[in-house]
Amino acid sequence: MLPIKQTLFIVSGVSSFIIFYMGIVNFLTSVDESTGMIMLVFSVLVATGTLLGTVHISTSITKPIQKLAENMANFSKTNKISNKNQIKTNVKEIFELNKNFEDMGEKVERIIEVQNEYVEKLKDMDRKKVEFSSMVSHELKTPLVPILGYVQMLQKEELLGKLNTGQKDAVDEIYTSTIKLEKLIGDILTTQKLDLGKLVFNEDYINVSELLYGLIKEFEPIAIEKKIDITANFNEDIQIFTDKDRINQVFSNLTKNAIDYVAPNSGCVTIGVKDSFNDIEFFVEDNGIGISDEHQKDLFKKFYQVDTSSKRKKGGSGLGLAICKGIIEGLGGKIWVESENNVKTTFFFKIPKKSNTKLGIKESTEKQEINN
Amino acid sequence: MSKTDKSKEKIKNLKILIIDDNEQITKMLTTFLELKEQECTIANDGKEGLNIIKENRHDVILLDLAMPEFNGYSVIEDLEKNNLLKDHKIIVFTASTITQDELDQLVTRGVTSYILKPIDIDVLHSKLIDTANL
Repeated sequence: MLPIKQTLFIVSGVSSFIIFYMGIVNFLTSVDESTGMIMLVFSVLVATGTLLGTVHISTSITKPIQKLAENMANFSKTNKISNKNQIKTNVKEIFELNKNFEDMGEKVERIIEVQNEYVEKLKDMDRKKVEFSSMVSHELKTPLVPILGYVQMLQKEELLGKLNTGQKDAVDEIYTSTIKLEKLIGDILTTQKLDLGKLVFNEDYINVSELLYGLIKEFEPIAIEKKIDITANFNEDIQIFTDKDRINQVFSNLTKNAIDYVAPNSGCVTIGVKDSFNDIEFFVEDNGIGISDEHQKDLFKKFYQVDTSSKRKKGGSGLGLAICKGIIEGLGGKIWVESENNVKTTFFFKIPKKSNTKLGIKESTEKQEINN
Repeated sequence: MSKTDKSKEKIKNLKILIIDDNEQITKMLTTFLELKEQECTIANDGKEGLNIIKENRHDVILLDLAMPEFNGYSVIEDLEKNNLLKDHKIIVFTASTITQDELDQLVTRGVTSYILKPIDIDVLHSKLIDTANL
């Protein structure tokens, strides 16, 4: 790239030289000595004038442009217009250029200011969400302590005496509902943490066969009771690096849903795994009534219920699948469903064998002593 | 089996200090523990709890972390400052969002154990036995 100054100097130097050279030629070839002399002096004057003029023009153009370039570089570093109105110039174009730049800079400054305000507001909202979630945790869990305590005491003959059958049933119902409520509070907190990106994954090497057998063992009693089949389907054992408890939570949730939705006596649930390069794909398949396309797209949304009628058989908060989705996506994977009406429904989830988790901040412990 | 019997015998007439600002909780816990023939003392805030800890020995101390003003953490800090923390068997319990790291840290500092609310009274019972027998 050629700087303006040098270019102008070269051009004016060459033209001054040509004028000067023509003056000398004129002087040497002219018949009239005085005319030649005049021409020579004239040419020297013109050549000097050209050079001086060039020096003046070049400095008056390049100096403010250099300053402007400096200001622009500064602006791109700091996002702030410094040295405003510092550029003095008589060149109209440069004046306009500088003015437009400063106007633009001011606008950018204002936009950044507004943007920062929004960022601050969002951060504040996040803080409030965290505060809210810990408030929910504390305020909702605290009254559960005496409720659960007294119900458990009532359930123990040796502590508060024998109850009659009706009383015993009532107390058992209260106990079941209390545990459900506790689980719901836990689910809400987990959802909140997923939203805030505060769910932490504790990853380790796990064998998928262990995972599948564990699930079969967990659900066998319910399957036997409901007279349905539950089988594990996989070819070879694969070792993956992921959060065992969270994967188990997802798998268990999907399996429980499947068992809930198949018909007693003829129901069939298959859990399995497929190897696919860097990923591993799990699935839970059932031969239940299926899920229509319309429901499928909203299935993983929070608080979504397929059956909203008051007669609906399955309880649940509508948070289960939203939590599954959050966990799988947090592990860098994907969850989806495929369904054929009245034939089968399959839930798939795919995670990297060596997952690189997206979320990372330490999670508040969700483990309740009650579950141990 | 025999080991459990023995430890159950041992837990009889344990002196338990419960520090919690929630009266419904302390009432439930004393009702339960007294039915289990334990001796309970109640403190409804951290300051009161700390005074009782310094005056009388207790076999186990159940300490709520989230209390207004002088909370469970302050109690632990005070005991730590006076080199008393390791002399007592403290089970912290809380309904607040607390990370596993924070809980582990408390144990490293000298808290014996922890339990999260809501409390399963059977779990609480066995935890008391275990802690008292340490």
